[in-house]
Amino acid sequence: MARSRETLIQGLSDAVVDMAEEETVILAKEVVTNRFDAYEAIEKGLAGGMDRAGKLFEEEEYFIPELLMCSDAMYAGLDILKPHLKIDAQAEKCKVVIGVVEGDTHDIGKNLVKIMLETSGFEVIDLGRDIPPAAFVTKAKEVGARIIALSTLMTTTMDGMADVIRLLKEENIREEVVVMVGGGPISQAFADRIGADGYARDASEAARLAQRLVQRVTV
Amino acid sequence: MADLSPKERLLRVLQKQKIDRPPVLCTGGMMNAAVVGVMERTGHTLPAAHHDEWLMTELALAVRQDTGFENLGLPFCLTVEAEVLGSEIDFGTLACEPKIAREVFPSVRRVEYRDVGQLARSGRIQTVVQAGYRLAHKEPDLPVIANLTGPISTAASIVDPMTFLKELRKDPDNAHRVLDYVSEFLIAYARLLIEGGVTLIAIGDPTATGEILGPKMFAEYAVPYLNKVAAAVHEAGRPVIVHICGDIKAVRHLAPQIRSDALSTDALVNLRALKQDFPELTTMGNLSTYLLQAGSTDAVAAQTARLVRDGIDIISPACGLSTSSPLENIRAMTGVVKENRGNG
Repeated sequence: MARSRETLIQGLSDAVVDMAEEETVILAKEVVTNRFDAYEAIEKGLAGGMDRAGKLFEEEEYFIPELLMCSDAMYAGLDILKPHLKIDAQAEKCKVVIGVVEGDTHDIGKNLVKIMLETSGFEVIDLGRDIPPAAFVTKAKEVGARIIALSTLMTTTMDGMADVIRLLKEENIREEVVVMVGGGPISQAFADRIGADGYARDASEAARLAQRLVQRVTV
Repeated sequence: MADLSPKERLLRVLQKQKIDRPPVLCTGGMMNAAVVGVMERTGHTLPAAHHDEWLMTELALAVRQDTGFENLGLPFCLTVEAEVLGSEIDFGTLACEPKIAREVFPSVRRVEYRDVGQLARSGRIQTVVQAGYRLAHKEPDLPVIANLTGPISTAASIVDPMTFLKELRKDPDNAHRVLDYVSEFLIAYARLLIEGGVTLIAIGDPTATGEILGPKMFAEYAVPYLNKVAAAVHEAGRPVIVHICGDIKAVRHLAPQIRSDALSTDALVNLRALKQDFPELTTMGNLSTYLLQAGSTDAVAAQTARLVRDGIDIISPACGLSTSSPLENIRAMTGVVKENRGNG
Protein backbone atom coordinates (compact mmCIF):
# COMPACT_ATOMS: atom_id res chain seq x y z
CA MET A 1 0.00 0.00 0.00
CA ALA A 2 1.33 3.38 -0.94
CA ARG A 3 2.28 5.56 1.98
CA SER A 4 1.26 9.19 2.24
CA ARG A 5 3.73 12.07 1.94
CA GLU A 6 3.40 12.81 5.66
CA THR A 7 3.97 9.19 6.62
CA LEU A 8 7.10 9.01 4.46
CA ILE A 9 8.53 12.22 5.88
CA GLN A 10 7.87 11.09 9.43
CA GLY A 11 9.31 7.69 8.52
CA LEU A 12 12.52 9.26 7.17
CA SER A 13 12.92 11.33 10.31
CA ASP A 14 12.36 8.28 12.52
CA ALA A 15 14.70 6.11 10.44
CA VAL A 16 17.51 8.67 10.88
CA VAL A 17 16.91 8.84 14.63
CA ASP A 18 16.77 5.03 14.80
CA MET A 19 20.11 4.76 12.90
CA ALA A 20 18.29 2.66 10.28
CA GLU A 21 20.29 3.25 7.10
CA GLU A 22 18.53 0.64 4.96
CA GLU A 23 15.10 1.84 6.02
CA THR A 24 16.10 5.42 5.13
CA VAL A 25 17.10 4.27 1.65
CA ILE A 26 13.81 2.40 1.11
CA LEU A 27 11.76 5.41 2.22
CA ALA A 28 13.81 7.88 0.16
CA LYS A 29 13.27 5.72 -2.93
CA GLU A 30 9.56 5.70 -2.23
CA VAL A 31 9.58 9.50 -2.08
CA VAL A 32 11.19 9.52 -5.53
CA THR A 33 8.82 6.91 -7.01
CA ASN A 34 5.82 8.86 -5.79
CA ARG A 35 7.26 12.12 -7.13
CA PHE A 36 6.91 13.82 -3.77
CA ASP A 37 8.93 16.96 -3.17
CA ALA A 38 12.56 15.92 -2.54
CA TYR A 39 13.35 19.21 -0.82
CA GLU A 40 10.62 18.71 1.77
CA ALA A 41 11.69 15.11 2.34
CA ILE A 42 15.27 16.26 2.96
CA GLU A 43 14.36 19.27 5.05
CA LYS A 44 11.61 17.81 7.23
CA GLY A 45 12.50 14.13 7.01
CA LEU A 46 16.28 13.69 6.96
CA ALA A 47 17.41 16.99 8.45
CA GLY A 48 14.50 16.88 10.88
CA GLY A 49 15.63 13.46 12.04
CA MET A 50 19.23 14.61 12.36
CA ASP A 51 18.05 17.58 14.38
CA ARG A 52 16.27 15.21 16.77
CA ALA A 53 19.40 13.05 16.94
CA GLY A 54 21.43 16.17 17.76
CA LYS A 55 19.05 16.95 20.62
CA LEU A 56 19.39 13.41 21.95
CA PHE A 57 23.16 13.93 21.76
CA GLU A 58 22.92 17.16 23.76
CA GLU A 59 20.70 15.41 26.30
CA GLU A 60 23.33 12.64 26.55
CA GLU A 61 20.86 10.04 25.40
CA TYR A 62 23.00 9.51 22.30
CA PHE A 63 26.79 9.60 22.17
CA ILE A 64 29.25 9.76 19.28
CA PRO A 65 28.77 6.22 17.88
CA GLU A 66 25.00 6.79 17.76
CA LEU A 67 25.24 10.25 16.22
CA LEU A 68 27.60 8.90 13.52
CA MET A 69 25.17 6.07 12.71
CA CYS A 70 22.32 8.59 12.41
CA SER A 71 24.40 10.70 10.06
CA ASP A 72 25.20 7.66 7.90
CA ALA A 73 21.46 7.05 7.57
CA MET A 74 20.89 10.71 6.72
CA TYR A 75 23.61 10.79 4.05
CA ALA A 76 22.33 7.53 2.52
CA GLY A 77 18.88 9.12 2.11
CA LEU A 78 20.44 12.34 0.86
CA ASP A 79 22.32 10.51 -1.91
CA ILE A 80 19.00 9.28 -3.27
CA LEU A 81 17.00 12.47 -2.89
CA LYS A 82 19.58 15.08 -3.93
CA PRO A 83 19.45 14.38 -7.71
CA HIS A 84 15.70 15.00 -7.57
CA LEU A 85 15.88 18.49 -6.08
CA LYS A 86 14.31 21.20 -8.21
CA ILE A 87 16.83 23.72 -9.46
CA ASP A 88 15.53 26.62 -7.35
CA ALA A 89 16.01 24.54 -4.21
CA GLN A 90 19.69 24.25 -5.03
CA ALA A 91 20.34 27.93 -4.40
CA GLU A 92 23.85 28.78 -3.37
CA LYS A 93 24.53 27.87 0.20
CA CYS A 94 26.57 29.71 2.76
CA LYS A 95 30.06 28.22 2.75
CA VAL A 96 32.08 27.08 5.74
CA VAL A 97 35.74 26.10 5.67
CA ILE A 98 36.39 23.64 8.47
CA GLY A 99 39.45 21.76 9.76
CA VAL A 100 41.58 20.65 12.66
CA VAL A 101 44.50 22.99 13.29
CA GLU A 102 48.08 21.99 12.62
CA GLY A 103 49.64 19.57 15.07
CA ASP A 104 46.45 17.70 15.89
CA THR A 105 45.00 14.71 14.11
CA HIS A 106 41.94 14.18 16.30
CA ASP A 107 39.03 14.87 14.01
CA ILE A 108 35.99 13.21 15.52
CA GLY A 109 34.66 16.49 16.91
CA LYS A 110 35.32 18.33 13.67
CA ASN A 111 33.50 15.64 11.69
CA LEU A 112 30.48 15.94 13.97
CA VAL A 113 30.40 19.71 13.51
CA LYS A 114 30.60 19.21 9.75
CA ILE A 115 27.61 16.85 9.83
CA MET A 116 25.53 19.23 11.91
CA LEU A 117 26.47 22.23 9.72
CA GLU A 118 25.48 20.33 6.57
CA THR A 119 22.25 19.34 8.23
CA SER A 120 21.58 23.02 8.92
CA GLY A 121 21.99 23.95 5.26
CA PHE A 122 25.63 25.03 5.05
CA GLU A 123 28.02 23.94 2.35
CA VAL A 124 31.05 22.62 4.20
CA ILE A 125 34.54 22.51 2.72
CA ASP A 126 36.46 20.09 4.90
CA LEU A 127 40.22 20.58 4.88
CA GLY A 128 40.77 17.58 7.17
CA ARG A 129 43.18 17.34 10.08
CA ASP A 130 46.61 18.77 10.89
CA ILE A 131 46.02 21.89 8.77
CA PRO A 132 48.43 24.88 8.79
CA PRO A 133 46.79 28.27 9.56
CA ALA A 134 47.48 29.75 6.11
CA ALA A 135 45.57 26.92 4.39
CA PHE A 136 42.33 27.97 6.10
CA VAL A 137 42.70 31.54 4.90
CA THR A 138 43.68 30.58 1.35
CA LYS A 139 40.73 28.21 1.00
CA ALA A 140 38.27 30.70 2.50
CA LYS A 141 39.38 33.32 -0.03
CA GLU A 142 39.25 30.85 -2.90
CA VAL A 143 35.70 29.67 -2.26
CA GLY A 144 34.31 32.86 -0.75
CA ALA A 145 33.57 31.25 2.60
CA ARG A 146 31.65 33.22 5.19
CA ILE A 147 32.79 31.05 8.06
CA ILE A 148 36.04 29.43 9.15
CA ALA A 149 35.49 26.75 11.79
CA LEU A 150 38.57 25.63 13.73
CA SER A 151 38.88 22.65 16.02
CA THR A 152 41.54 21.20 18.26
CA LEU A 153 41.73 18.72 21.09
CA MET A 154 45.25 19.59 22.11
CA THR A 155 46.42 22.53 24.22
CA THR A 156 49.66 22.46 22.22
CA THR A 157 47.93 23.52 19.04
CA MET A 158 45.64 26.26 20.34
CA ASP A 159 47.99 29.01 19.16
CA GLY A 160 47.30 28.00 15.56
CA MET A 161 43.78 29.35 16.02
CA ALA A 162 45.09 32.81 16.88
CA ASP A 163 47.38 32.61 13.82
CA VAL A 164 44.38 32.13 11.52
CA ILE A 165 42.79 35.31 12.89
CA ARG A 166 46.05 37.20 12.55
CA LEU A 167 46.41 36.08 8.92
CA LEU A 168 42.84 37.15 8.13
CA LYS A 169 43.70 40.61 9.46
CA GLU A 170 46.89 40.75 7.41
CA GLU A 171 44.88 39.90 4.32
CA ASN A 172 42.34 42.59 5.26
CA ILE A 173 39.45 40.14 5.19
CA ARG A 174 38.88 39.73 8.93
CA GLU A 175 35.52 41.56 8.69
CA GLU A 176 34.24 39.31 5.93
CA VAL A 177 34.86 36.00 7.61
CA VAL A 178 33.33 34.71 10.80
CA VAL A 179 35.72 32.60 12.89
CA MET A 180 34.30 29.86 15.12
CA VAL A 181 36.43 27.78 17.48
CA GLY A 182 35.84 24.63 19.47
CA GLY A 183 37.31 21.45 20.88
CA GLY A 184 38.34 19.97 24.23
CA PRO A 185 40.67 22.61 25.68
CA ILE A 186 38.89 25.60 24.09
CA SER A 187 36.66 27.87 26.17
CA GLN A 188 34.64 31.03 25.63
CA ALA A 189 37.39 32.91 27.46
CA PHE A 190 40.00 31.61 25.02
CA ALA A 191 37.78 32.52 22.06
CA ASP A 192 37.40 36.04 23.41
CA ARG A 193 41.11 36.40 24.03
CA ILE A 194 42.15 35.50 20.50
CA GLY A 195 39.30 37.57 19.03
CA ALA A 196 37.24 34.72 17.56
CA ASP A 197 33.61 35.46 16.78
CA GLY A 198 32.19 32.48 18.56
CA TYR A 199 32.77 29.35 20.60
CA ALA A 200 30.57 26.28 20.78
CA ARG A 201 30.63 23.44 23.31
CA ASP A 202 29.41 20.71 20.98
CA ALA A 203 28.37 20.00 17.42
CA SER A 204 24.69 20.89 17.77
CA GLU A 205 25.53 24.17 19.42
CA ALA A 206 28.10 24.88 16.69
CA ALA A 207 25.42 24.60 14.00
CA ARG A 208 23.12 27.03 15.82
CA LEU A 209 26.03 29.39 16.46
CA ALA A 210 26.93 29.37 12.76
CA GLN A 211 23.38 30.32 11.81
CA ARG A 212 23.35 33.12 14.36
CA LEU A 213 26.75 34.46 13.32
CA VAL A 214 26.11 34.64 9.58
CA GLN A 215 22.92 36.60 10.16
CA ARG A 216 25.06 39.26 11.82
CA VAL A 217 27.56 39.62 8.99
CA THR A 218 26.56 42.04 6.26
CA VAL A 219 26.47 40.36 2.88
CA MET B 1 57.61 7.89 57.81
CA ALA B 2 59.71 10.88 56.83
CA ASP B 3 62.22 8.70 55.04
CA LEU B 4 59.90 6.97 52.60
CA SER B 5 61.49 6.76 49.19
CA PRO B 6 59.30 8.03 46.33
CA LYS B 7 58.87 4.45 45.18
CA GLU B 8 57.80 3.23 48.62
CA ARG B 9 55.41 6.15 49.02
CA LEU B 10 53.71 5.44 45.70
CA LEU B 11 53.47 1.70 46.28
CA ARG B 12 52.06 2.32 49.75
CA VAL B 13 49.37 4.68 48.51
CA LEU B 14 48.40 2.19 45.81
CA GLN B 15 48.06 -0.47 48.51
CA LYS B 16 45.92 1.93 50.58
CA GLN B 17 48.52 2.11 53.33
CA LYS B 18 49.26 5.19 55.39
CA ILE B 19 51.66 7.75 53.96
CA ASP B 20 53.11 11.08 55.05
CA ARG B 21 51.85 13.04 52.02
CA PRO B 22 50.62 12.30 48.53
CA PRO B 23 53.19 11.56 45.81
CA VAL B 24 53.35 14.02 42.91
CA LEU B 25 53.62 12.23 39.59
CA CYS B 26 53.56 12.67 35.88
CA THR B 27 53.13 9.22 34.39
CA GLY B 28 54.68 9.71 30.96
CA GLY B 29 53.03 8.53 27.77
CA MET B 30 50.23 10.90 26.87
CA MET B 31 50.84 12.67 30.20
CA ASN B 32 54.54 13.38 29.84
CA ALA B 33 56.52 16.36 31.02
CA ALA B 34 59.19 16.45 28.30
CA VAL B 35 58.62 20.18 27.91
CA VAL B 36 60.74 22.37 25.66
CA GLY B 37 62.56 23.83 28.70
CA VAL B 38 63.98 20.42 29.67
CA MET B 39 65.01 19.55 26.13
CA GLU B 40 66.72 22.88 25.53
CA ARG B 41 68.72 22.64 28.74
CA THR B 42 69.91 19.09 28.18
CA GLY B 43 70.04 18.74 24.42
CA HIS B 44 68.21 15.41 24.83
CA THR B 45 65.50 16.15 22.38
CA LEU B 46 62.40 14.77 20.74
CA PRO B 47 61.59 13.45 18.22
CA ALA B 48 65.04 11.71 18.27
CA ALA B 49 64.46 10.31 21.78
CA HIS B 50 61.42 8.37 20.58
CA HIS B 51 63.77 6.05 18.69
CA ASP B 52 66.87 5.76 20.87
CA GLU B 53 66.95 3.94 24.21
CA TRP B 54 69.87 5.93 25.56
CA LEU B 55 68.29 9.28 24.68
CA MET B 56 64.93 8.11 25.99
CA THR B 57 66.56 7.13 29.29
CA GLU B 58 68.46 10.41 29.58
CA LEU B 59 65.40 12.48 28.74
CA ALA B 60 63.30 10.65 31.34
CA LEU B 61 66.00 11.34 33.96
CA ALA B 62 66.26 14.99 32.92
CA VAL B 63 62.47 15.45 33.08
CA ARG B 64 62.45 14.11 36.65
CA GLN B 65 65.36 16.28 37.66
CA ASP B 66 64.04 19.53 36.15
CA THR B 67 60.39 19.15 37.16
CA GLY B 68 60.56 17.55 40.60
CA PHE B 69 58.04 14.85 39.72
CA GLU B 70 58.66 11.79 41.87
CA ASN B 71 58.84 9.19 39.16
CA LEU B 72 60.41 8.33 35.84
CA GLY B 73 57.96 8.01 32.97
CA LEU B 74 58.11 6.30 29.57
CA PRO B 75 57.60 6.65 26.63
CA PHE B 76 56.92 10.21 25.38
CA CYS B 77 54.06 9.52 23.01
CA LEU B 78 50.94 7.42 22.38
CA THR B 79 52.04 5.91 19.11
CA VAL B 80 54.38 3.01 19.96
CA GLU B 81 51.57 0.44 19.83
CA ALA B 82 49.86 1.71 16.69
CA GLU B 83 53.17 1.83 14.84
CA VAL B 84 53.97 -1.79 15.69
CA LEU B 85 50.47 -2.78 14.58
CA GLY B 86 51.08 -1.14 11.21
CA SER B 87 49.80 2.45 11.26
CA GLU B 88 51.82 5.28 9.76
CA ILE B 89 53.24 7.70 12.33
CA ASP B 90 54.17 11.35 11.98
CA PHE B 91 56.87 11.81 14.63
CA GLY B 92 56.23 15.53 15.01
CA THR B 93 58.86 18.03 16.11
CA LEU B 94 60.62 19.04 19.28
CA ALA B 95 57.55 20.95 20.44
CA CYS B 96 54.85 18.85 18.84
CA GLU B 97 54.17 15.27 19.85
CA PRO B 98 53.89 12.35 17.40
CA LYS B 99 50.54 11.45 15.96
CA ILE B 100 48.92 8.87 13.75
CA ALA B 101 49.33 10.01 10.15
CA ARG B 102 47.20 7.21 8.71
CA GLU B 103 45.39 4.30 10.30
CA VAL B 104 46.35 1.03 8.63
CA PHE B 105 42.92 -0.65 8.39
CA PRO B 106 39.69 0.78 6.90
CA SER B 107 37.36 -1.21 9.18
CA VAL B 108 37.33 -3.71 12.04
CA ARG B 109 36.40 -6.43 9.56
CA ARG B 110 39.61 -5.85 7.61
CA VAL B 111 42.08 -5.99 10.51
CA GLU B 112 44.84 -8.52 9.89
CA TYR B 113 45.70 -10.57 12.95
CA ARG B 114 49.32 -11.36 13.68
CA ASP B 115 51.21 -13.12 16.44
CA VAL B 116 51.16 -10.78 19.44
CA GLY B 117 54.30 -12.28 20.98
CA GLN B 118 56.28 -11.45 17.85
CA LEU B 119 54.70 -8.03 17.53
CA ALA B 120 55.68 -7.20 21.09
CA ARG B 121 59.30 -7.82 20.15
CA SER B 122 59.30 -5.40 17.23
CA GLY B 123 59.41 -1.69 16.49
CA ARG B 124 60.02 0.83 19.22
CA ILE B 125 58.82 -1.54 21.92
CA GLN B 126 62.43 -2.68 22.36
CA THR B 127 63.52 0.95 22.82
CA VAL B 128 60.93 1.52 25.56
CA VAL B 129 61.61 -1.82 27.28
CA GLN B 130 65.38 -1.21 27.30
CA ALA B 131 64.98 2.35 28.55
CA GLY B 132 62.72 1.02 31.32
CA TYR B 133 65.38 -1.51 32.28
CA ARG B 134 68.11 1.14 32.40
CA LEU B 135 65.99 3.51 34.48
CA ALA B 136 64.92 0.83 36.94
CA HIS B 137 68.55 -0.12 37.58
CA LYS B 138 69.89 3.42 37.67
CA GLU B 139 67.29 4.80 40.09
CA PRO B 140 66.09 2.01 42.37
CA ASP B 141 64.36 4.45 44.75
CA LEU B 142 62.22 6.03 42.07
CA PRO B 143 59.15 4.40 40.58
CA VAL B 144 59.48 3.78 36.86
CA ILE B 145 56.09 4.12 35.20
CA ALA B 146 55.60 2.58 31.77
CA ASN B 147 52.61 3.80 29.82
CA LEU B 148 50.35 1.84 27.54
CA THR B 149 47.89 3.30 25.09
CA GLY B 150 44.60 1.74 26.15
CA PRO B 151 42.73 -0.85 24.10
CA ILE B 152 40.07 1.46 22.63
CA SER B 153 42.59 4.17 21.69
CA THR B 154 44.98 1.64 20.18
CA ALA B 155 42.14 0.06 18.20
CA ALA B 156 41.04 3.53 17.04
CA SER B 157 44.65 4.16 15.98
CA ILE B 158 44.76 1.17 13.65
CA VAL B 159 41.20 1.44 12.30
CA ASP B 160 39.89 4.80 11.10
CA PRO B 161 38.39 6.22 14.32
CA MET B 162 35.09 7.40 12.77
CA THR B 163 34.49 3.99 11.26
CA PHE B 164 35.65 2.26 14.42
CA LEU B 165 33.18 4.17 16.61
CA LYS B 166 30.29 3.33 14.29
CA GLU B 167 31.34 -0.28 14.14
CA LEU B 168 31.09 -0.60 17.91
CA ARG B 169 27.36 -0.63 17.12
CA LYS B 170 27.31 -1.93 13.56
CA ASP B 171 29.76 -4.81 13.79
CA PRO B 172 30.12 -5.72 17.47
CA ASP B 173 31.55 -9.18 16.78
CA ASN B 174 34.53 -7.87 14.85
CA ALA B 175 34.88 -4.85 17.16
CA HIS B 176 35.22 -7.22 20.12
CA ARG B 177 37.64 -9.39 18.19
CA VAL B 178 39.88 -6.40 17.40
CA LEU B 179 39.77 -5.18 21.00
CA ASP B 180 40.61 -8.62 22.29
CA TYR B 181 43.57 -8.84 19.90
CA VAL B 182 44.80 -5.36 20.83
CA SER B 183 44.46 -6.23 24.54
CA GLU B 184 46.47 -9.43 24.10
CA PHE B 185 49.14 -7.42 22.32
CA LEU B 186 49.20 -4.82 25.12
CA ILE B 187 49.53 -7.61 27.68
CA ALA B 188 52.52 -9.09 25.82
CA TYR B 189 54.11 -5.61 25.71
CA ALA B 190 53.38 -5.00 29.41
CA ARG B 191 54.99 -8.32 30.38
CA LEU B 192 58.22 -7.31 28.64
CA LEU B 193 58.19 -3.95 30.42
CA ILE B 194 57.65 -5.68 33.76
CA GLU B 195 60.42 -8.22 33.09
CA GLY B 196 62.65 -5.21 32.40
CA GLY B 197 61.91 -3.94 35.90
CA VAL B 198 59.37 -1.12 35.62
CA THR B 199 57.49 -0.45 38.86
CA LEU B 200 54.01 -0.08 37.46
CA ILE B 201 51.92 0.24 34.33
CA ALA B 202 49.78 3.29 33.53
CA ILE B 203 47.08 3.01 30.90
CA GLY B 204 45.89 6.15 29.12
CA ASP B 205 42.93 5.62 26.85
CA PRO B 206 41.92 9.01 25.47
CA THR B 207 39.35 7.64 23.03
CA ALA B 208 37.64 5.63 25.78
CA THR B 209 35.85 8.56 27.39
CA GLY B 210 32.34 8.91 28.70
CA GLU B 211 31.83 11.85 26.38
CA ILE B 212 32.71 9.90 23.26
CA LEU B 213 31.32 6.46 24.07
CA GLY B 214 28.48 7.09 26.52
CA PRO B 215 27.70 4.68 29.36
CA LYS B 216 26.48 1.73 27.28
CA MET B 217 29.48 1.50 24.95
CA PHE B 218 31.87 2.32 27.79
CA ALA B 219 30.49 -0.59 29.82
CA GLU B 220 30.53 -2.94 26.85
CA TYR B 221 33.90 -2.06 25.34
CA ALA B 222 36.08 0.12 27.58
CA VAL B 223 35.72 -1.48 31.02
CA PRO B 224 36.19 -5.17 30.06
CA TYR B 225 39.32 -4.64 27.98
CA LEU B 226 40.92 -2.19 30.41
CA ASN B 227 40.25 -4.82 33.07
CA LYS B 228 41.66 -7.58 30.93
CA VAL B 229 44.97 -5.72 30.61
CA ALA B 230 44.89 -4.68 34.28
CA ALA B 231 44.31 -8.28 35.40
CA ALA B 232 47.36 -9.49 33.43
CA VAL B 233 49.52 -6.74 34.93
CA HIS B 234 48.32 -7.68 38.42
CA GLU B 235 49.10 -11.29 37.67
CA ALA B 236 52.65 -10.21 36.84
CA GLY B 237 52.80 -8.60 40.26
CA ARG B 238 52.58 -4.92 39.36
CA PRO B 239 50.03 -2.17 40.09
CA VAL B 240 48.05 -0.33 37.41
CA ILE B 241 46.93 3.27 37.07
CA VAL B 242 44.16 4.08 34.58
CA HIS B 243 43.64 7.59 33.24
CA ILE B 244 40.28 8.63 31.81
CA CYS B 245 40.12 11.76 29.68
CA GLY B 246 37.35 14.31 29.53
CA ASP B 247 34.23 14.64 31.64
CA ILE B 248 33.35 11.30 33.23
CA LYS B 249 29.81 12.37 34.18
CA ALA B 250 28.12 9.88 31.84
CA VAL B 251 30.23 6.93 33.07
CA ARG B 252 30.88 7.97 36.67
CA HIS B 253 28.87 5.07 38.06
CA LEU B 254 31.18 2.66 36.21
CA ALA B 255 34.37 4.03 37.83
CA PRO B 256 34.44 1.43 40.65
CA GLN B 257 34.23 -1.36 38.06
CA ILE B 258 37.64 -0.42 36.63
CA ARG B 259 40.15 -2.72 38.28
CA SER B 260 42.99 -0.24 38.59
CA ASP B 261 44.91 0.61 41.73
CA ALA B 262 44.38 4.32 41.09
CA LEU B 263 42.05 6.26 38.81
CA SER B 264 43.34 9.45 37.23
CA THR B 265 40.96 11.98 35.70
CA ASP B 266 40.83 15.20 33.72
CA ALA B 267 40.60 18.67 35.25
CA LEU B 268 36.83 19.10 34.99
CA VAL B 269 36.15 16.15 37.29
CA ASN B 270 35.60 16.93 40.96
CA LEU B 271 37.89 14.31 42.47
CA ARG B 272 36.91 15.11 46.04
CA ALA B 273 33.26 14.38 45.23
CA LEU B 274 34.24 11.24 43.33
CA LYS B 275 36.16 10.04 46.36
CA GLN B 276 33.22 10.81 48.63
CA ASP B 277 30.84 8.82 46.46
CA PHE B 278 33.23 5.91 45.92
CA PRO B 279 35.50 5.74 48.99
CA GLU B 280 37.14 2.58 47.66
CA LEU B 281 38.78 4.53 44.82
CA THR B 282 42.35 5.75 44.99
CA THR B 283 42.17 9.06 43.16
CA MET B 284 44.83 10.72 41.09
CA GLY B 285 44.92 14.11 39.43
CA ASN B 286 44.03 16.63 38.35
CA LEU B 287 45.76 19.96 38.04
CA SER B 288 44.59 21.79 34.92
CA THR B 289 47.22 21.52 32.20
CA TYR B 290 45.93 24.81 30.85
CA LEU B 291 46.78 26.43 34.18
CA LEU B 292 50.19 24.75 34.10
CA GLN B 293 50.85 26.23 30.69
CA ALA B 294 49.34 29.70 30.99
CA GLY B 295 48.75 30.38 34.70
CA SER B 296 51.00 32.16 37.20
CA THR B 297 53.19 30.16 39.58
CA ASP B 298 51.02 31.45 42.45
CA ALA B 299 47.83 30.17 40.83
CA VAL B 300 49.48 26.80 40.12
CA ALA B 301 50.66 26.55 43.73
CA ALA B 302 47.23 27.52 45.11
CA GLN B 303 45.36 24.99 42.97
CA THR B 304 47.85 22.25 43.81
CA ALA B 305 47.50 23.01 47.51
CA ARG B 306 43.72 22.73 47.11
CA LEU B 307 44.08 19.23 45.62
CA VAL B 308 46.26 18.19 48.55
CA ARG B 309 43.71 19.64 51.03
CA ASP B 310 40.93 17.81 49.22
CA GLY B 311 42.67 14.57 50.08
CA ILE B 312 43.45 13.51 46.52
CA ASP B 313 45.65 10.44 46.92
CA ILE B 314 48.16 11.15 44.14
CA ILE B 315 48.74 14.62 42.73
CA SER B 316 49.40 14.88 39.01
CA PRO B 317 48.58 16.93 35.92
CA ALA B 318 45.04 16.39 34.64
CA CYS B 319 45.99 15.36 31.11
CA GLY B 320 48.71 15.76 28.51
CA LEU B 321 50.98 18.75 29.19
CA SER B 322 51.62 21.40 26.62
CA THR B 323 55.27 21.25 25.61
CA SER B 324 55.46 25.00 26.21
CA SER B 325 54.52 24.69 29.89
CA PRO B 326 57.09 26.71 31.86
CA LEU B 327 59.31 24.73 34.22
CA GLU B 328 58.73 27.27 37.03
CA ASN B 329 55.05 26.32 36.98
CA ILE B 330 55.73 22.61 37.07
CA ARG B 331 58.22 23.12 39.91
CA ALA B 332 55.66 25.24 41.77
CA MET B 333 53.28 22.29 41.52
CA THR B 334 55.72 19.63 42.72
CA GLY B 335 57.18 21.95 45.37
CA VAL B 336 53.83 22.57 47.06
CA VAL B 337 53.10 18.85 47.38
CA LYS B 338 56.51 18.10 48.86
CA GLU B 339 56.16 20.90 51.43
CA ASN B 340 53.01 19.25 52.70
CA ARG B 341 54.90 16.61 54.62
CA GLY B 342 53.08 15.45 57.72
CA ASN B 343 49.72 17.00 56.92
CA GLY B 344 48.22 13.75 55.71
